[in-house]
Amino acid sequence: MPEPLSESATDLPELNPIIHGKLRLALLSLLSTVEEAEFTWLRAKTNSTDGNLGAQLLKLEEAGYVSMEKKFVLRKPQTLYRMTEIGRQALTEYVQALKQLLGAAIHS
Amino acid sequence: MFPESLERIVAMSAFEQEQELKDRLSLIETMIAEGRQTTESWGWTFVLWGVAYYVAIAWSVWGNPAIAWPVTMITAGLITALVAMRRSSGRPATSLGRSMAAVWISLGISLFLFGICSGFSGHSDQHVVIAVIATMLGMANATSSLSLRWKPQFACAVVWWAAAVVSLFGTVNQSTIGFLVAIFLCQIVFGSYMMVSEARERRTNESKSGENKSGELHA
Repeated sequence: MPEPLSESATDLPELNPIIHGKLRLALLSLLSTVEEAEFTWLRAKTNSTDGNLGAQLLKLEEAGYVSMEKKFVLRKPQTLYRMTEIGRQALTEYVQALKQLLGAAIHS
Repeated sequence: MFPESLERIVAMSAFEQEQELKDRLSLIETMIAEGRQTTESWGWTFVLWGVAYYVAIAWSVWGNPAIAWPVTMITAGLITALVAMRRSSGRPATSLGRSMAAVWISLGISLFLFGICSGFSGHSDQHVVIAVIATMLGMANATSSLSLRWKPQFACAVVWWAAAVVSLFGTVNQSTIGFLVAIFLCQIVFGSYMMVSEARERRTNESKSGENKSGELHA
C-alpha cells in the first residue's frame, strides 16, 4: 500500500514554468544584477544564438518579467533589456520555491 | 524482482530531480557572479595612477616642476577615460558601478582643481598639499571599500590617512617619504593585487559558467 503524502509534501510549491527554462533563468539572474543590459552582452554571457535568445527574451517580455528598449547610440542600434519589478518578484519567489523543494528532497 | 527495480527507477528519478534543482540553483549563482563581474576590473587604474604620481614627482624634482604635475595628470586622466570608455562599451550599467564612478570622478576633479589652484596661487606648502591629497584619496578608498564591503581597500584608506597625519606633523623629508610609501602600497601593490584577484575570479567564473554553458542553455 503506497504511503499517503505527508502534509508538508502536499504543501510543496510549484516552480514557475516561465522561469524554469535554463536560458530564461540565466537571463533573469543576469538581469537581476544590472540596471539594463544590451542584447549582445546577454548573448555573450549565455553563449546562446540570436534566434534562441530573442525567442526566450520575448517570452519573458510577454510575461512582463523584462522590458525592452531600442535606441541609437552614435548611430548604432542598441537593444536594451531591463528586469521589471514583477520579474524581480517572480525570480525571488522561484528561488524560494527551489530552496524549499531542495530542502524537502534532502530531508525525505 | 519487479518492485525492487521499480523502486530503483523511482529513487533514480528522485535523485535526478534533486540534481536538476541543484543545477538550477548553481546556474542562478553563476549568472549573478557573471553579472557582478562587470564592475570589478579597475586594478589597472590604480597601477596607472601610481606610476603617474611617481613620474610627476620625479619630473618635478629632476625636470620642469611647472609642467610636470599638470602634464602627467592630464595624460593619465585621458588614458583612464579612453581605456574605461573602450572597456565599458557594451557592458551593462549597475547602480553600484555608477556610484563608484561618481566617487572616483569627483575625486579626480577635486584633486585636479586643488593641484592646479594650489600650484598657480603660490599657496603650495608641501605639508598641506600632501595632507589634503592623501586625505581625499583616503576618503575615496574608504567610501569605495564600505560600499563594496571590501576590507583590503579600507587598509589603503588607513594608509592614506596615516600619510596625511605624517605630512602635517613630520618634517619635509618624512612627509615626502610617507607620500611615496603610500603611493607604493595603495596604488602599485593594491592595484597589482586587484588585477591578480580579478584575473583569478574571471578564471573561476569562466570555468564555472563553462560547466553550465556546456549543458546548453536552451529553453
